Amino acid sequence: MAAKQKHAEQIPLFISRSNISTEINKTGSWRFVRPKYHEKTAPCSAACPAGEDIARIEMLSNQGRYSDALKTILLENPFPSVCGRVCFHPCETVCNRAGLDDPVAIHDLERFIGDTADGDELKLTPKKLPENGKTVCIVGAGPSGLSAGYFLSQLGYVCDIYEAQSEPGGILRWGIPGYRLPNAVVASEIRRIINFGVKIICNTPVTQDFLEKAKVRYHAFFIGCGYGRSLKMNIPGENMALDGLEFLNSLRDGKIEPINGTAAVIGGGNTAIDVARSLVRLGAAATLIYRRRKQDMPAFKAEVEMAVKEGVKIKELFSPIRIKEDAGEYVLSLQLMKTSDMKTDGGRVRVIPDGKAIRHLRVQKIFTAIGAEPSASWQFPPGEHTGTLHLSHCTLTGNNPPFLYGGDLTNPIKSVTDAIASGKQAAMAIDIFFNQGRHAVENGLSFCLVGKGPALSMERYMGGKRSVRDSHIVSYGDINIDYFSMAGRVKTASIEVNHRIRSFDEIEATFTISQAMEETRRCFNCGICNACDNCRIFCPEIAVILQDSERRINLDYCKGCGICVFECPRNAMGLEEES
Amino acid sequence: MKQVIEGSHAVSEAVRLAKVQVMSAYPITPQTHIVEALSEYCADGTMNARFLCVESEHSAMAAVIGASSAGVRTFTATSSQGLALMHELLHWAAAARLPIVMAEVNRALAPGWNIWMDQTDSLAQRDTGWIQLYCEDGQEVLDTTLQAYRLAEAINLPVMVVMDAFFLSHTFEPVDVPDQELVDRFLPPFSPRIEINTSDPFAIGQMAPPNVYMEMRHDIQKAMELVPGIFTGVEQEFTKIFSRTYGPVEKVLCNDAEIIMVVTGTAASTCREVISDLRSKDEKVGMLKLKMFRPFPTDLIREYLGRAKKIAVVDRNFSFGASGIFAQEIRAALCNNNTHPPVFGYIAGLGGRDVTPEILSEIYWKTKNSPILENESVWVGLLD
Repeated sequence: MAAKQKHAEQIPLFISRSNISTEINKTGSWRFVRPKYHEKTAPCSAACPAGEDIARIEMLSNQGRYSDALKTILLENPFPSVCGRVCFHPCETVCNRAGLDDPVAIHDLERFIGDTADGDELKLTPKKLPENGKTVCIVGAGPSGLSAGYFLSQLGYVCDIYEAQSEPGGILRWGIPGYRLPNAVVASEIRRIINFGVKIICNTPVTQDFLEKAKVRYHAFFIGCGYGRSLKMNIPGENMALDGLEFLNSLRDGKIEPINGTAAVIGGGNTAIDVARSLVRLGAAATLIYRRRKQDMPAFKAEVEMAVKEGVKIKELFSPIRIKEDAGEYVLSLQLMKTSDMKTDGGRVRVIPDGKAIRHLRVQKIFTAIGAEPSASWQFPPGEHTGTLHLSHCTLTGNNPPFLYGGDLTNPIKSVTDAIASGKQAAMAIDIFFNQGRHAVENGLSFCLVGKGPALSMERYMGGKRSVRDSHIVSYGDINIDYFSMAGRVKTASIEVNHRIRSFDEIEATFTISQAMEETRRCFNCGICNACDNCRIFCPEIAVILQDSERRINLDYCKGCGICVFECPRNAMGLEEES
Repeated sequence: MKQVIEGSHAVSEAVRLAKVQVMSAYPITPQTHIVEALSEYCADGTMNARFLCVESEHSAMAAVIGASSAGVRTFTATSSQGLALMHELLHWAAAARLPIVMAEVNRALAPGWNIWMDQTDSLAQRDTGWIQLYCEDGQEVLDTTLQAYRLAEAINLPVMVVMDAFFLSHTFEPVDVPDQELVDRFLPPFSPRIEINTSDPFAIGQMAPPNVYMEMRHDIQKAMELVPGIFTGVEQEFTKIFSRTYGPVEKVLCNDAEIIMVVTGTAASTCREVISDLRSKDEKVGMLKLKMFRPFPTDLIREYLGRAKKIAVVDRNFSFGASGIFAQEIRAALCNNNTHPPVFGYIAGLGGRDVTPEILSEIYWKTKNSPILENESVWVGLLD
């Protein structure tokens, strides 16, 4: 057998091989659909009353760009640290991540960014348009008035905010207890608004007379006074009960004194819960009396649960009918109620007295928190009549000058973030009013909707990048889940129940940097490009070109296979038919 | 130095010693131990190589095709369903003339699910253009893997080193694991003839119209025809260094044999005992161990088997509607020879069933006592 080995060159090796470039083969001619970078709307941003660009905010934080993340929030909301604490976060309710495991802790991240990011304040706040010579009078330095001032300043208006109290903030400063919202947080965010150029004039209660005279000096008015006066129960002995709102005001004023013994709190809203939880902290045994069922309470569910955890007793289906004094204590007579088949206009189950049974509750203090109303009639927004424009979060009336009513009195949901939305909507409405006329207001606002609204984006109004985003709201089915693995929601540290009931210290801690990093990684960044580069990596024709951090499709070679679109984990691309 | 290691790890050691640069594999019993050890070698730095984890055998082969095209030494391993899934790319690897080496552990195909020894998986790939070498024990599989790189790189064709599931892959035997220095003397670094390179770009594997395709295929066959000679040369060099030799076929007591039994893989070891026993009873029996199946060593088959009176082929495989595959190939090799003894085909040991000395004796006696060939294949050891 021949043992000689052949030289390599003698081994036949005829294969397809060419040094000619395949660039001549313009595979783009095969294409009948073309991919495009096509950003869409994340469900969280559409659900956020302030329309924050949450998908982008989480992307920036994940890149460690906290200042850019804060800047992005401040385009739409001047109160990140406040909202991160007190917003009822409808964003999380619709978060697509829930389809995989748990929603992203968006409110914790917003708080983290608000508390952590720093930098030159003027570089963080949005760019202001040059002053346009118009002045706006804002009544009430609550979240809606402050927001109206902030956004109007951005649009070039000079704003004066008149506030009856000694310090601005409204409900933020005077209503919400410190364990939910520390004063320092409120003060710091208001300071940013003042530094942005908004003038706040405190200790100046506005009257109808004042307004009449001010019409000469101001081109427009924003009335955002909120609910200043508590509603009455109209029962015998009511004057022996203390006003819950006033109680909360005095606590925020620093008048924190121990209260021993038992206390009843009448009501089922957030104020009632705040009063009851504050009482517990002062040393009292608090019982909440509510005429409907626990599940009917208008208070945020999480707040109710916390109250129960902290020792607040809840008596449901009891309606107060009388208060009597007895040996230095009070006897609260309660009518037992039951549910009926009827519903209220708001869709809640109507309750009716359950027989004649009356119970008596002996307590040492009684607080009422059954709701509130504006403290003066001129603060009410006008009703339905010709010449009044009812928008989702504010009401426009009058022409010369225009009056905008906003805040809790016009908002569908009485929340801080809705108040911010109201201020923003009013600012845009005033600007459209002056630039294009009153008739253009509704149409003009419709261009700024986030998704299908009602949230509005100031960034869109200013013609920013969000303007080109599709209003399609990304669903869980639009996400390519292959690129995500299960990872539970990061929980922030919190004070033990036993400790939290001894002080007004904030219960929950702000995320640490590593917690925030872990949590932002969970965000799908629905509908927006986070430069993951899958499109470029997977393109079989190398037709995705990356230049100056921007990606584009080389249509000479893109054959329209759609792999880039399919492999985009977050639906930031789309395919369209060739025309 | 001799070590007691399992057959799978004999392959892993050879791959380590061959200084393979890129490996890719998808786990499948009974192959997994091979790449398990190699992935550990990559992870702990024993080997300076990349181990690419992939989602299928199809991708594993695609990955090594890519790596081999870039001119590096590559390895993969598979079995049964995994090999079947690779089928398309087995054709590609051979026609692209890439010197890839793969360990293939013979395992039965499903259904019914069966993870045990059966040769039908590798034999079903006989037309893909891969060189196929069947091994008998741990030492042979280590040595053959080393030789496979020399052979593949000399001829620019891929090599499949085939071994029995469990009987070889999972059996611990003393194996001489050679020193690196000796292996380096035998197997120099790979100097590729095909090496895609970004600094001098060219395209490979593109359109081959009718005016060139046939010539390309003819070249593969011309290369295949050179394999037996080159293999012998490689073995001679191997023997000089390691003092071991195997041959494309091994004949045992064939010169005066009237009946020659043809066997492959670990059954050869059993058969050695059986023929020795039969010889002590004055039976004129010999054994031919077939190692190289592709290219088929037609000349040697004719030379060694042509003189016998009867041939008994033991197939642990089957081509449905025809016969055992080794028997077919041997019949085809002999039919144009001057002398062509009758070829008795026996099917035994499918799906991991033992091929015992009793089975092999039965095959011998059946062959001796049958005056004429009644069936192309006789299934031995079927349950009643």
